[in-house]
Amino acid sequence: MNLLFALSPLLAVAGGALLLMLAEALGKPAVAEGINADGLVTDAGAGRAPELAVGSSVVLFCGAIFSLGVWLYGPEKLAGLDAVAPYFIVDRFSLFFSFVVCIGGALATLLGGGYLPEHGIDRTEFFSLVLWATVGAIALSAAGDLLSLFVGLETMSLGVYCMIALRRGSLKASEAALKYFLLGSFAAAVQLFGAGLLYGATGHTDLAGIGKAIRTVGEAGSTVSAPMVLVAMVMSIVGLAFKVGAVPFHMWTPDAYEGAPTPTTTYMAVALKSAAFAILMRVLVLSFGDDRLLSWGTGWPPIVATLAILSMTLGNVVAGRQDSVKRMLAYSSIAHAGYALVGVAAILGSDQAAPSVSFYLLTYTVSTAGAFGALILCGSQGREAVSYEDLAGVGRRHPTAALAFSVFLLSLAGVPPAAGFFGKLYVFTAATEAGLYWLTVLGLLNSAIAAYYYLRVMVYMYMREPVPGAPVAVPMKSSMVNVALIIAAVAVALLGIFPTKALQLAATALP
Amino acid sequence: MNPLAAAIVQLWPYALAFVVAAAIPRRQGRWERFAIGLSAVLGVAFLRGMWPGAEAPSEPPIEWPHLLNVIVFVPILGAIAVLFLPRQAPRLLKRFSIAVLLVDFVASLWLLGAPMAEGWHFQYIADWLPSFGIRYHVAIDGVSLWLVLLTTLSSPLALYVSFGSIQKRTKELCFSFLLLHGAMLGAFVALDLFLFYLFWELMLVPMILIIGVWGGVEKIKAAYKFFLYTMAGSMLMLAAILYLVWSFKQVEGYYTFDYLALRRLVLPDTAAWLCFAGFAVAFLIKVPMWPFHTWLPDAHVQAPTGGSVILAAVLLKLGTYGYVRFCMGLFEGPAWQAGATLAWVALLGGVIYGALCAWRQADIKRLVAYSSVAHLGFVMLGLFSATRSGIEGALLQMVNHGVSTGALFILVGVIYDRRHTRLASEYGGLAKVMPIYAALFVVFTMASIGVPGTNGFVGEYMIIMSTIVSQALGRWATSQAAVASAGVILAAVYMLSVVQKVFFGPLDNPKNKSLTDVNTREAISLAPLVVLVFIIGFFPKLLLDRMHDSVTSVVARYVDGRLAYQDHRGRADTVLEPLLGGPTEAGYPERPAAPAEPSEAPSVAAIMHIDAANGAGVEGTP
Repeated sequence: MNLLFALSPLLAVAGGALLLMLAEALGKPAVAEGINADGLVTDAGAGRAPELAVGSSVVLFCGAIFSLGVWLYGPEKLAGLDAVAPYFIVDRFSLFFSFVVCIGGALATLLGGGYLPEHGIDRTEFFSLVLWATVGAIALSAAGDLLSLFVGLETMSLGVYCMIALRRGSLKASEAALKYFLLGSFAAAVQLFGAGLLYGATGHTDLAGIGKAIRTVGEAGSTVSAPMVLVAMVMSIVGLAFKVGAVPFHMWTPDAYEGAPTPTTTYMAVALKSAAFAILMRVLVLSFGDDRLLSWGTGWPPIVATLAILSMTLGNVVAGRQDSVKRMLAYSSIAHAGYALVGVAAILGSDQAAPSVSFYLLTYTVSTAGAFGALILCGSQGREAVSYEDLAGVGRRHPTAALAFSVFLLSLAGVPPAAGFFGKLYVFTAATEAGLYWLTVLGLLNSAIAAYYYLRVMVYMYMREPVPGAPVAVPMKSSMVNVALIIAAVAVALLGIFPTKALQLAATALP
Repeated sequence: MNPLAAAIVQLWPYALAFVVAAAIPRRQGRWERFAIGLSAVLGVAFLRGMWPGAEAPSEPPIEWPHLLNVIVFVPILGAIAVLFLPRQAPRLLKRFSIAVLLVDFVASLWLLGAPMAEGWHFQYIADWLPSFGIRYHVAIDGVSLWLVLLTTLSSPLALYVSFGSIQKRTKELCFSFLLLHGAMLGAFVALDLFLFYLFWELMLVPMILIIGVWGGVEKIKAAYKFFLYTMAGSMLMLAAILYLVWSFKQVEGYYTFDYLALRRLVLPDTAAWLCFAGFAVAFLIKVPMWPFHTWLPDAHVQAPTGGSVILAAVLLKLGTYGYVRFCMGLFEGPAWQAGATLAWVALLGGVIYGALCAWRQADIKRLVAYSSVAHLGFVMLGLFSATRSGIEGALLQMVNHGVSTGALFILVGVIYDRRHTRLASEYGGLAKVMPIYAALFVVFTMASIGVPGTNGFVGEYMIIMSTIVSQALGRWATSQAAVASAGVILAAVYMLSVVQKVFFGPLDNPKNKSLTDVNTREAISLAPLVVLVFIIGFFPKLLLDRMHDSVTSVVARYVDGRLAYQDHRGRADTVLEPLLGGPTEAGYPERPAAPAEPSEAPSVAAIMHIDAANGAGVEGTP
């Protein structure tokens, strides 16, 4: 019974996914893509997106509520967790991240419920895929063993590969999906190779056991080979840094984000990234938490710090050069991964570091989901809002949509009193505490550079008019997108003005 | 005696002032007469109310603690309310916004009720984020009092003026001005470094909206420059704030962002200098001091008239205020040591170079913008000289600059609205067609130059005197005073030359022959400023008295802090200056109480299931 309660987030989402697939299969048959009687090409559409979106978002919100419920009950009080540990660890860390992933997924499905019918890709598989990918993401956040890590990683990724290619006729989408699939599989293979090396070196597959074994390196009678451990560490970091989207393993991100339908992009940006960071932190703290590996001279912090600096800098600089808002948001999510990696690097000296990364990902999730949602809102049938010119003059014609977009952009830029500012503050406080002063200064300067391209969107919305005669994107009317934006905006406002409770909760979530 | 006679005896100065002032305009406008009369009455009321010599009250007056909250948040709530007003009702929007700003102005007059003895007044403290040590802590003292009043006076005037030239998107204009006003006031009164940073950043967004939506030809470039320049500086300030907070935690064991606590820190050399640099860069960008001044001419020229007024009158003062409050308050040692060098930078780069640049400008607005650089160079010189009269003169000059340069921008807007050109060569002999305008322009020119009798003279005089006697400026003091005096002459050169070009001389250009003189709106917005020029010019003691105690304690702390820094030099640890107690320490953040019961969160080791002692780990399959 206790076990059922402990696993309730995962089971809720999985059970909901099964029920949704049944509902989808037994309900009205979907209209297939094809050519209709008038000779026009029809996209897939059966009008089932609204009900399925509502259903799947309810399932995901239930998952989030269950995570919160188990948290409030106290995962330490649950007995019987040994049955699933170490493959599935139920502690505050995994509950926090399953909450974040479920919220991100719920917002993505609501956005999908508005976007898919509007742009003619009303395929019901999207919602099942989101749910199953979320199951994988929850499993990944709770993974405590290399095997369940791989299973969770692949479950999550395979769902997303299909979601990217949802628009079957689109070359761009297919290219994006294929790129992500090939590079993702390659990275997973590298990660698996590292996992194999770790097993060979330490004889354990569970992360805690690996950590224990690595601590015995250098002692008399230890069979753990240090060079093998180091190679395995680098390979694991590489594989997971790919998933996180850190430079120089970021090449898939702009193309995948741009080619995918925007709700899929939202899901990738929030849920995938959060789960990947969760497992990255767990692997680094549990397996490679030995003092020698956690030190600046001989361990992984310099690697992570370098990834952080490269991601922040490249992400911010290249984002400013983009003409497409979607691609700009992709590069900005690379930069945000860089800021979060600063927090990960700070684990070496601060016990606030891991909670700061978790809180940062929470604020990042609501802000990014809101930003992509506002971008979805600004486009409608026939013309999606993709480039800056599409957004010109929106501030005057549709002030509510522009205001919503501005709020999320300011949160991403780190302007107080929005939530994103507190995320950055927490991460940089932890980095200062860990002694990484130059990393903090670089991070703050990068935030200033980032302000340019976030500001650019606002400039186009409020201060420019569209070229006369040019086709202009008209915002869509969709109650589901509105609901998603309202939820995200309320979350951004609350986390920005009253972040105390969330900070306290995050502080107890330690990997 | 009967009440009527008593009333006449009491009120005769006001009645006389009103009658005399209302008789001044020789043209029809009823509202204009009323406004000028009202300004005169308020001026007389100010004089009588603030006149020193009244018997000291037996007990200190009651200070309503929520007054500052009202002053800061009424405009912000007004801004949110404007969002819900229909954009098709511009008159409603305009009247509502002006009403909110006037309510704020009246509320701020209550601040004059307290004599501003040493220490913090109207203080309000509330816990906000205890885990970070962030509190909502606002208070006012003699340093910030007049800046708050300058803000609450300038904003309604600036908004009222901008309604004359901006007709479209009124709703966004009102929203931006109200939000900007609230944020600026918050920055002046915040005593928690996080709260200060929050208001500092919050100011940027409405300002770029004002520049970017209603600005001139190159408004977008100017808006970007302004925003990114200022934000880069503030990021460095944030890094320094985080370092200070962390250092305090190392010494005392708890987090706090409070100014009163962090100013006790005496940091080791390198850290102190780097943090000082972080704060100083942020403020010197805002002032703006050479070489960080390049955003100012673009921002001022491209902004609409009302935006330029508020930018010059208030936003630039935030840089100087930040310097005296935070740089000189937190890092006394580096500020003292850098004082002489920075004073040379302010003089040569700001006063002299700014004046020379202004002299070469063909665009009148750009000339006034460069004159701001020059004037604020004087202000910074006063701050760097770090004597009581220097800092008082600097604070006074901040108010003076707000009044005179704000008025100059309104005046430039007058002819821009008529002819849509700001080139001095396009004009000439305007005094013949626009005599009232010429008179006002000359009055404010005199104020800007610093002619005795106007407000500018008092400030400049105090600053130059303080430079001569300053210890902080060391052996450079006399030469710097000489250069500063030369700067005064240069100010006269560029201002009078543009006055001559524009107003006097032959009325050649036929387009100028039919220009209308100052209209009611412009006259109403300039009247209070004219009154202020002369009141401050003749009775500066009214303002200086309120600053006296606070500036004395600022200087005393500055000297103590410098001695503490010098004692500490060469050591690598961080210490705290002793708590002095007394009114300047009111509101000091105490150490938070230790939690009563152990937290429910399990320790990291327990979660990791790694317990070497009992070996009860969770083993996976081997």
